[in-house]
Amino acid sequence: MRNIIEVKDFVKKYDKFTAVDNVSFDVEEGSIFAFLGPNGAGKSTTINTLCTIFDKTSGTLTIDGKDVSRERDAVRGVIGVVFQEPTLDNKMTVMENLIMHCHFYAIPKSEVVERIQFVLELVELLDWKKAMVSSLSGGMKRRVEIARSLLHYPKVLFLDEPTTGLDPQTRAHMWDYIVKLQKEKNITIFLTTHYMDEAEICSKVAIMDGGKIVAMDTPYRLKQQYTKDKANITTSDEQGLTLLLDAAGFIYKKKTGYYSIEVDSIPKLMEILSEQKDSITDLEIKKGTLNDVFLAITGKDIRK
Amino acid sequence: MDIILALWYRNIKIFARNRVQLVFTIIMPFFFLYVFSSIFKNDSIENPVNYMLAGIVITTVFQTSLTIATSTIEDIVSGFMKEVLVSPVKRIQIAAGQLLSAATIATLQGIIILIIGYFIGLKFTSWITPFAVIGVMIVVGLVFSGLGLFLAALVKNSQTFQIVVTAITMPMTFLCGAYIPLSMLPKTLQYVAYLNPMTYTTAFFRTIILEKTSLTTNQMVAEQLAFKIGGFVITPLISMTIVIIFGLVFLLLSTYVFSKVDFSRINRSKSKEADIFS
Repeated sequence: MRNIIEVKDFVKKYDKFTAVDNVSFDVEEGSIFAFLGPNGAGKSTTINTLCTIFDKTSGTLTIDGKDVSRERDAVRGVIGVVFQEPTLDNKMTVMENLIMHCHFYAIPKSEVVERIQFVLELVELLDWKKAMVSSLSGGMKRRVEIARSLLHYPKVLFLDEPTTGLDPQTRAHMWDYIVKLQKEKNITIFLTTHYMDEAEICSKVAIMDGGKIVAMDTPYRLKQQYTKDKANITTSDEQGLTLLLDAAGFIYKKKTGYYSIEVDSIPKLMEILSEQKDSITDLEIKKGTLNDVFLAITGKDIRK
Repeated sequence: MDIILALWYRNIKIFARNRVQLVFTIIMPFFFLYVFSSIFKNDSIENPVNYMLAGIVITTVFQTSLTIATSTIEDIVSGFMKEVLVSPVKRIQIAAGQLLSAATIATLQGIIILIIGYFIGLKFTSWITPFAVIGVMIVVGLVFSGLGLFLAALVKNSQTFQIVVTAITMPMTFLCGAYIPLSMLPKTLQYVAYLNPMTYTTAFFRTIILEKTSLTTNQMVAEQLAFKIGGFVITPLISMTIVIIFGLVFLLLSTYVFSKVDFSRINRSKSKEADIFS
């Protein structure tokens, strides 16, 4: 797989404030790449620079081999963008919005109807094509935006916090569309989010904090590297368990009704479990989350 | 060209959909006609209703083109222009679409008022006049949509913008001789009126629409179609030149500023604002 996005030593400064500090990364064609981080980490600045809106301070950024600063129009032709804030024409219908987009991207007249049909079907909004945009719900507007951004068959789709402000059900739906797109159309998807569960679906995650990428890998490997499994055990023989845990050198916390144990090695835990098998009444093993990864790397909880 | 046409069509459609605005912009001029036409009766004007009507047509063209062009700000605030920003569209195409649609809508309104005016008593003797009148309305529409787009591109805060627009249109409308004869204004305001491009627009338009091109200079000055400033007489022809120069300046300025303006600037956070000026 070739890299469709290549960023090397990207720096973006606003006066004296450095928003993005020497960031480098590549995105493979056809993958879902996520920028994860709290507000103000530099995610939107990076995405806006890649979308040709902002100018870089230094570094090289290319999309599909084209330089983002020097070949703006060429880059604009191969990307689709869904911004954090709505950019639909509220005074027009869904259909009219999509037709206008076709004009902007010089889509051949003969294909316009067919393409609109296709994108509306994808986001399940065919029945709404004659509706005024202002009459749609927030989730529907987002879907129209996604549909619109696909009209010119972009190679890379940028989604800046695509699900912020949507209800859980619409969020889940949104993700169905995103994954469908990536699988069926081989579109590279570049998104930013601060929802950890969303980042889990991505092929690669870059964690940003304070303008730097602090970790970058697949979600699975990130969790493997930075988090430990937790075992929550409830037992009738608390004294016995405490002794065993201390002897084996586990780090644990005694909570009301259960022990929360950090698992270094599964075999060692198995030994304890087998010795305690008659007194254990409840066992829960928890995998680390990306939030734990974030916490481990930055010492901060992303949700705060 | 395709994009300009598409945008032009969009703006016309939006205007046609807004029925209230449409009705209001047609009723208002006749309300003013009723209120102000008595003022001209005391002046040395031959047919005050027609004289007034001519002024009303051109101020309507002026106000409409300015308002429609400044409504570009709504598209910037609503985020629609941000879509344009990441598309391969050239900014100049957007500017052209906005200017042309504003001029078109303004001219259409001018024509509607003219048609109603016909039933009130506005008559032409030459068949060339209606064409010349429409031609002038298109030019005037373009001139002031240029000013409108320029203002829209300069705006930093969309809330105060409406006030700024009113603060510009009100004096331009009332200090141009369309509703109130300049001779009735205090001396100071007369000088202010001489700085108002609408003064020359109105004088020039009246000369055409009332078919007064053959009057002598003194008659023109008496009917306020020409102005004597000091020893110098500004004839309708000079007025036209002034308006066209003013228009060209603002058309160029507005397209230039509009091509440079950062659409993401409004309603954004501090850090991004910093990006605009860097």
